[in-house]
Amino acid sequence: MDLKNITVKELRSKLDAKEIGAREAAALFLDEIKKNDDKVLSYITVTGDEAMKTADAAQKRIDAGDPAPLTGIPLALKDNLCTDGIRTTCSSRMLGDFVPPYSATAVEKLAAQDYVILGKVSMDEFAMGGSTQTSAFAKTKNPYDTERVPGGSSGGSAAAVAAGFCAAALGSDTGGSIRQPASFCGVTGLKPTYGRVSRYGLVAFASSLDQIGPIARTAEDCGIILNAIAGHDPKDATSKDVPFTDFNEKLGQSISGMRIAIPKEFYGDAVDEEVRTAVMNAAHEYEKMGAELVDCSISTLKYAVQAYYLISSAEAASNLSRYDGIKYGLRGEGHSFDEMIRDSRNRGFGAEVKRRILLGNYALSSGYYDAYYRKALALKQQIISEYNAVFENADVILTPTAPSVAYKIGVQDNDPVKMYTADICTVTVNIAGLPAINTTCGYDRDGMPIGMSIVGRRFDESTIIQTADAFEKTFSPVRCTL
Amino acid sequence: MSNLYPTIGLEIHAELLTKSKVFCTCSAEFGGEPNSRCCPVCSGMPGTLPVLNHTAVEYIIRAGYVTNCEISRFTKWDRKNYFYPDLPKAYQISQMPRPVCLNGWVDIVANGQEKRIRVNRIHLEEDAGKLVHDEATRSSLADYNRCGIPLIEMVTEPDFHSAEEVIAYVEKIKLLYKYAGICDCKMEQGSLRCDVNISLAPKDSKELGTRAELKNLNSTKAIARAIEYEIYRQTEIIESGQKVLQETRRFSDSTGETTALRSKEDAHDYRYFPDPDIPPIIFTEEELAEIKAKLPEMPEQRKARYMSEYGIAETDADNIINDKDICDFFEDAIKVYNKPKAVANFILGEFMRRINLGEMSMDSLKFTAKDLARLIELGDTDKINKNNYKTIFVEMIGTGKTPDEVCDELDLWVKDDTSAVEAVIDKLIADNPKPVEQYRAGEQKVFGFFMGQANKALKGQATPNTIKAILEQKLKG
Amino acid sequence: MDIATLDHICRLSKLNFTEEEQQKALAEMSDIIALMDTIKEYDITYDDTKDHNEIRYADLREDIPAPSFPTEKLQQNTSPRDNCYVVPKMME
Repeated sequence: MDLKNITVKELRSKLDAKEIGAREAAALFLDEIKKNDDKVLSYITVTGDEAMKTADAAQKRIDAGDPAPLTGIPLALKDNLCTDGIRTTCSSRMLGDFVPPYSATAVEKLAAQDYVILGKVSMDEFAMGGSTQTSAFAKTKNPYDTERVPGGSSGGSAAAVAAGFCAAALGSDTGGSIRQPASFCGVTGLKPTYGRVSRYGLVAFASSLDQIGPIARTAEDCGIILNAIAGHDPKDATSKDVPFTDFNEKLGQSISGMRIAIPKEFYGDAVDEEVRTAVMNAAHEYEKMGAELVDCSISTLKYAVQAYYLISSAEAASNLSRYDGIKYGLRGEGHSFDEMIRDSRNRGFGAEVKRRILLGNYALSSGYYDAYYRKALALKQQIISEYNAVFENADVILTPTAPSVAYKIGVQDNDPVKMYTADICTVTVNIAGLPAINTTCGYDRDGMPIGMSIVGRRFDESTIIQTADAFEKTFSPVRCTL
Repeated sequence: MSNLYPTIGLEIHAELLTKSKVFCTCSAEFGGEPNSRCCPVCSGMPGTLPVLNHTAVEYIIRAGYVTNCEISRFTKWDRKNYFYPDLPKAYQISQMPRPVCLNGWVDIVANGQEKRIRVNRIHLEEDAGKLVHDEATRSSLADYNRCGIPLIEMVTEPDFHSAEEVIAYVEKIKLLYKYAGICDCKMEQGSLRCDVNISLAPKDSKELGTRAELKNLNSTKAIARAIEYEIYRQTEIIESGQKVLQETRRFSDSTGETTALRSKEDAHDYRYFPDPDIPPIIFTEEELAEIKAKLPEMPEQRKARYMSEYGIAETDADNIINDKDICDFFEDAIKVYNKPKAVANFILGEFMRRINLGEMSMDSLKFTAKDLARLIELGDTDKINKNNYKTIFVEMIGTGKTPDEVCDELDLWVKDDTSAVEAVIDKLIADNPKPVEQYRAGEQKVFGFFMGQANKALKGQATPNTIKAILEQKLKG
Repeated sequence: MDIATLDHICRLSKLNFTEEEQQKALAEMSDIIALMDTIKEYDITYDDTKDHNEIRYADLREDIPAPSFPTEKLQQNTSPRDNCYVVPKMME
């Protein structure tokens, strides 16, 4: 049986119909990883034994006739999600040997459904980057073209899904880290509303922006996984108690009459023409389904990347201060605390992480705080109010996910400013705390996937899943071959 | 004589008496095996998040109310970033622009003068861990048990001008916090800590001098000594034409001197910013009113009640309320034996005398308030002779026995056996013909002599009333 | 950004750079800050009471202690001595 392109939903019915056992399904994915991941480098840690153990537990539950939606479904986890007893590196030398003593709430929730863990997948170091090339352990490649980046920071998650190395994966999104790699790898990725999923156990990059979310083959699969991981967590004061029943409840409902906003700033020259065209074609597809396209404006977009980098780097500088080599992580040498901690950090952190720490501490330091950090917070308020205004006249917003398709490895690595500005299409969603989903809307002349993002109102994941699903049903994806 | 005049401000840190830590569910108890009261949150594991303790917030609001502060309806937490091995996250969660309490005041009496001290702010933060230095291996060992104990920091305006005022203030704050039930105020254990900012300037000067910050003051005595030393030190510097440096200084209990702490190479830049893990809090008027209503009875209220309801004199009432443990003991005793004046008299007399003599302490009492109440009741109801209070009480202090047990053992019960009394008095009269004559000639005061002698001979086994009646009758002849 | 500022920020960040790295970092940080500086033209002020992300006092965690974590497990990523974390000696 070939599970490479199977959806979570299809695998569920095969497992429940006993067409395949949980152990067998896990083994098929593990084989695929063994055979082909040397070309993609998506996994940092493959947990074969744990996969079999969890598969056995899942099978028992299936045999007992009491499977949950994810029982026996083999998943990959981004390597910034803490897993009790399983190495969690954040793709950083700093945490190369770090074995968390506890599991993230989202992981616990998957475990409560008896999912099967295949392993931990690569990412940009501490989730800082959009190419997965800042990983200290696995510089993941794009399964559609292994000379290209998979995007990032959840590049390992997206590549593993695209390449058929798991049924689906969890990623995290701080400024586009789920949606952009999903776009580059031609899969579906959902960033939930800030507060929808507990961040407890997600190694923090920028606490006010980070959210855990699924990367899968379809919007429906994303909904199934979000159903499992969402909800208020007493361990995360920023998680919200907003009730939900099923994020897939609107699937199949007509989108006729839906108002889809097209913010003009997202369709400017900064975005490749092929990308713009593909997204606008999708927009017209929606029109054909009876949706109404609404022009709108997010005028603060030109300051969004700056606000994003100031806020996220300031929080990151503080969040990453705990890595001093004392309690865990790479321990440097030195005769004094100061020498030791500097040595730990010099050797533990890569260049991009150091840049963000410097920028963050600069933005917070005495004399610069008001001009940078405080101003960024003001911009955040402005961006939120602009989105609120748009949603007065629209149900969802449609934008490109990235200005381009996946680029060649090595092209942008040496130009931080160019790398940062490439986040233009995704960061405002994090700043405003909104939910957004990427799905594939076309391919460029080289066959590389082009993604579009559907952005919803806060806590209205159901509508963006419905909207993405409506398009996916009209679209024939071209799966990659390795 | 120098015309330099000290100006002093205080920062008082108090650990709150919550059951769990401020941002995690670990026990907030003092001590414990190293790192046994820790979890991934308070030891700064990657991915963990703080969740604010409801009671810690209630307690800081209490602190605000008892020091007449305004309570902010909108309050939030910030990160204070600095590296130190007792701070596992490398930032302390604290409050900068929006503390819970602002603009309060506390009245004190120092050197016989009443004075109002202004409170600038009180904010809620987390305590840091403890370091033990190991000379042998040239290393320090970090214990995070104290990490995350809720701490409130009160900052006063620089309204003090003498050590006496500072001491009076610290004592007053200890009293208020203890009565509010928010801190045990044990300076020696570090649950109440005080930093003193002190500068000197000519008395008529409008500008303050450069201040030094004094740390490690773990008793009110140390505070007084440190201030006096610092006034002397700064006076010397200024009068010799040099400049006082703005620095942090550590007081040594053994030398009685302050020394500069090695100035950290990094200029302090704490890069405060709002903690994104902790949402700001808003309070409703109802919530604040409820917290205020739940405030325990404060010393001034108790004092007023003692005076108006129990008829206790003001100085006596002051003496009772000034030690919360004693005051609580008094309250417990009068719950059992509702004669507040009698209980107060005993506590202010024999009870406090024994404390002052160092024969007992409130931390380690062997007997209960109920026992004390019983003792007084036995005396009041003539079950025992009050002359035996002392004997019985000393036994209670030493052994923890109840007064009934002590009386049984030492045979101190009043028996009021009239024939025994008559026999003793008959003998007294026979042995002392001269005083008898004096009495019969109208010298009433010798009656006291006979009472004393009779009491002594009877060892308290008869009540004074019985003795008095028989004595009067027999002396008449 | 000048060398002195970079140096100060490095100290705050507990990072060291070799001279070569420093030159590179200086150039990169200058470019990045030039991008950030474009927000200075936008006239807007921040009001923290208008973030509307606050929670209610009633929603705070109840003060109920739970058992702490096994010390050994908590310290599985370091080499403790006497159950303590070991650091080079701190000067007073």
